Amino acid sequence: MSDRIADIWGTRTPHAAGDDWPVRVDRYLEPGVPVRAVEWVQSACVLCSNGCGLDIGVHEGRIVGVRGRAGDRVNRGRLGPKGLFGWQANHAADRLTEPLVRRGGIKGSLEPAGWDEAMDLVVEHSREVLTAHGPLAMGFYNSGQLFLEDYYTLGVLVRAGIGTPHLDGNTRMCTATSDFALKETFGSDGPPGSLTDFDLCDTLFLVGHNAAETHTVLWARILDRLHGPDRPRLVVVDPRRTKVAREADVHLPIRNGTNQALLNGIQQQLIVNGWVDDDFVQAHTVGFDQLEATVAQYPPERVAEICDVPAADIRAAAELIGTGERLVSTALQGVYQSHQATAAACQINNINLLRGMIGRPGCTVFQFNGQPTAQNTRETGANGDLVGMRNWQNPDHVAELARLWNVDPLQIPSWAPPTHAMQIFRLIEQGSIRFLWVIGTNPAVSLPELHRIRSILGQDRLFLVVSDAFLTETADFADVVLPAAMWGEKTGTFTNHDRTVHLSEKAVDPPGQARPDMEIFLDYARRLDLRDVDGAPLLKWDTPEECFAAFKRITEGRPCDYSGLTYDRLRGGSGIQWPCTDKRPKGTERLYTDGTFNTDTEYTEDYGHDLVTGAAHERKDHTDLGAAGRAVLKTADYQPPNEAPSEDYPLLFTTGRTAYQWHTRTKTAHVPQLNAAAPEPWVELSAADAKQLDIEEGDLVRVESARGRLEAKARISGVREGVAFAPFHYGYWDTDGDGPGKHPRAANELTITAWDPVSKQPTFKVAAVRVRKLADGDGTPSPAPTTTASEPLTDDVPPTSGGTGVRETVRRTR
Amino acid sequence: MKLDRLIEDVYDHETTLAKQLRKTAERHAADHDIYHLGHSQARACAQRMEQLGPHAERHGVTPPEAPTSTSPTLVEGMRHATADLLGRAKPTGQLLVADLRKLYLAAQATELAWVILAQSAQAARDAALLAAASTGKDGTTVCAKWLRTRIKEAAPQVYAAG
Repeated sequence: MSDRIADIWGTRTPHAAGDDWPVRVDRYLEPGVPVRAVEWVQSACVLCSNGCGLDIGVHEGRIVGVRGRAGDRVNRGRLGPKGLFGWQANHAADRLTEPLVRRGGIKGSLEPAGWDEAMDLVVEHSREVLTAHGPLAMGFYNSGQLFLEDYYTLGVLVRAGIGTPHLDGNTRMCTATSDFALKETFGSDGPPGSLTDFDLCDTLFLVGHNAAETHTVLWARILDRLHGPDRPRLVVVDPRRTKVAREADVHLPIRNGTNQALLNGIQQQLIVNGWVDDDFVQAHTVGFDQLEATVAQYPPERVAEICDVPAADIRAAAELIGTGERLVSTALQGVYQSHQATAAACQINNINLLRGMIGRPGCTVFQFNGQPTAQNTRETGANGDLVGMRNWQNPDHVAELARLWNVDPLQIPSWAPPTHAMQIFRLIEQGSIRFLWVIGTNPAVSLPELHRIRSILGQDRLFLVVSDAFLTETADFADVVLPAAMWGEKTGTFTNHDRTVHLSEKAVDPPGQARPDMEIFLDYARRLDLRDVDGAPLLKWDTPEECFAAFKRITEGRPCDYSGLTYDRLRGGSGIQWPCTDKRPKGTERLYTDGTFNTDTEYTEDYGHDLVTGAAHERKDHTDLGAAGRAVLKTADYQPPNEAPSEDYPLLFTTGRTAYQWHTRTKTAHVPQLNAAAPEPWVELSAADAKQLDIEEGDLVRVESARGRLEAKARISGVREGVAFAPFHYGYWDTDGDGPGKHPRAANELTITAWDPVSKQPTFKVAAVRVRKLADGDGTPSPAPTTTASEPLTDDVPPTSGGTGVRETVRRTR
Repeated sequence: MKLDRLIEDVYDHETTLAKQLRKTAERHAADHDIYHLGHSQARACAQRMEQLGPHAERHGVTPPEAPTSTSPTLVEGMRHATADLLGRAKPTGQLLVADLRKLYLAAQATELAWVILAQSAQAARDAALLAAASTGKDGTTVCAKWLRTRIKEAAPQVYAAG
């Protein structure tokens, strides 16, 4: 039995390039449950975008544990700590089990109501707003954690039924840049590679991707190569000394906000040293001349100055990248939530294109996702995209959709891109949106500059509906709260970050009156009486399987082609990667294997943008570009960040996650093993800054920006000098009524309202702050985990542990 | 040869555009993308003016001081404060579209000033000036295109929502 809180990644199973990743089945069951009596129900994990295949253990109608699925291509039986322990959140005593409505006006309280009363209220207010202000006064903000069927139902309901462009997901905070960078370079969304590329590569380039904590099972996969006989070389870009950085051959702890300069510099080195695959670039890309001219301005010495890392290390990194034979590059929030997000993400695509390393085994670029079902918000159009990876600027695409939905093309909002989340909140602030439905997400803690968000949500003129499994900080502002079923309590599908689609079956009934999100949306559409042009109900399905069948038809012929998938095909074995058609029933492991990309003007999902301003290219710009199946090498100069350190606020601030918590902890704080590992927020400082500020491990500190403040205990860690870090998970629902005024502990009190001009993803990772000590810690260390990037510099902090009872079974390979 | 007059014309247009960008940025500070991009585009104006410097001197024009002020003026500060105060009011949407329309025309006029300079530089066989003017033209084209994109997004909410 292993302690998987102490050892996040579990037992090593090292192997050489080209060998199959060995199977290791991880299992955790509630103590005392008779193993033989447990029934196993097929599912996959919803606590990160890796989407590990697992079975849910059920005993006497209760979920009692999980085990990894040995045959699944994603995890080969492994689970991370959140996957192993996270299911206990379903049992939380404070789950929402009945609808609540606010009685007694804005100052009144939320009180229990029946579904009919609650839904009638939602429908009545929707009708009022629609009559008085029209569809553009209606807004919907959903999650990255629903199932495909929930999203698709919501997408059709909002786009074709209500007809408002104001529908986005919290995926805007997490993977919008992944989506946009893929569209800019390759012509459509869709991760090109396969997770098996990690088993084959000889060089790894991880940019702003703390895989050890964000994707723990993927990191176990990478560790098995790093500790194997032919270790791939590893280049890491991260201002923190993460576990990933500790394994690196070259670690570039750049000043946050300077990715674009660094990546331009690496491309400059690839070009001047002749590490470019000229034949591939000539045949399969456009834009090289412009790229060459731009990056020529970024020699290592200039980049070293901007990023504050040694020029020799930049050269060394470029040499590893430039001389490998099988390169896998990856990006995550250190790119997406930083300055010049889309521009920098595109440069990572460029690097693989310059090396001619894409579409082949061991050669790819991953613009990773964060949330488990983020990919589906993008495919179903429940975020900033048009369903089926269609182009909102292409009238033929809109007409096709209207025909498939049997609605008037004009009904579908396509005059501009779907409104991004930050703009939806701006329109609420302005009083232009009067109705907002928040589904399975918690903007009152997760959006930037929280005092602003709270004041927007607290307006009297806004009617706020929240559907969730828990009473979140956002639900505190709601007029109606609807109890939603969680994972394990409903059936549906979702897709991970290498296009693997999993089926997750219902294992148990939801508690009380809680309902699956899809059923709530269907009920709403019925009560609103939404119809197609022939007067038939707009939403023509009742079950998840029928919804999946409807979605499949919409995707036929598009990049994310699901037409060959059925629930039956997804049962029993491994998840399957789209595109999956009747001709390719086993799915498709890699995209772009013939060097042809989705950039044909008729087919492309997006005509592209200027990366610095976000100016949208129009059809004529795209035809002029003449990409016609070639990838686009996008380029941009480095721009200084929106907020730089100053005399008043001398430190750079960045936020991030810890391996043990998820989002705003609505689920993980209800899991004893996970919550005990990271129970309270903390602030990380470098030894040099701590010394200068007279701060020691465990001291209570205040971090202030121009927008707010945060108080937490200090952890002296390996974060780069001049940078303060805080985890973004902590809010106020479990603080015994201590709100932000009395005891501010949400990292987003400090963050800036600014977003990337292309992906519109907020800039959580660059702000200016000052730090001072409030009280001595009396030698008690901060509650930050010792097992992760927050590892203390001294060895007198008790090690994080407490995840015993996990059985790991390594299957020996022949 | 009257290239000096065209260079002065470009300087005038860029200076006006930069001022107007900053003014709009502060006036609509509650629209955070307008605030950040307005200021960064104003810096881009200053950069284009600097890049024209050596060519201006060759043609006997003294480059004016580039409008690079990073700390806001008193008037700008007042505009910012007003924007924060009035950011809740619905008419700010209408005002934004109106201001962006004016800015778009200013960006177009500036682009045209660069086009005229580029054309004339080519006819005068001044390759270096032609290259500089082409770069300047590209920069203002992007600026105008950004404004066009933003207007297309903003207008329907103002005029089609009841």
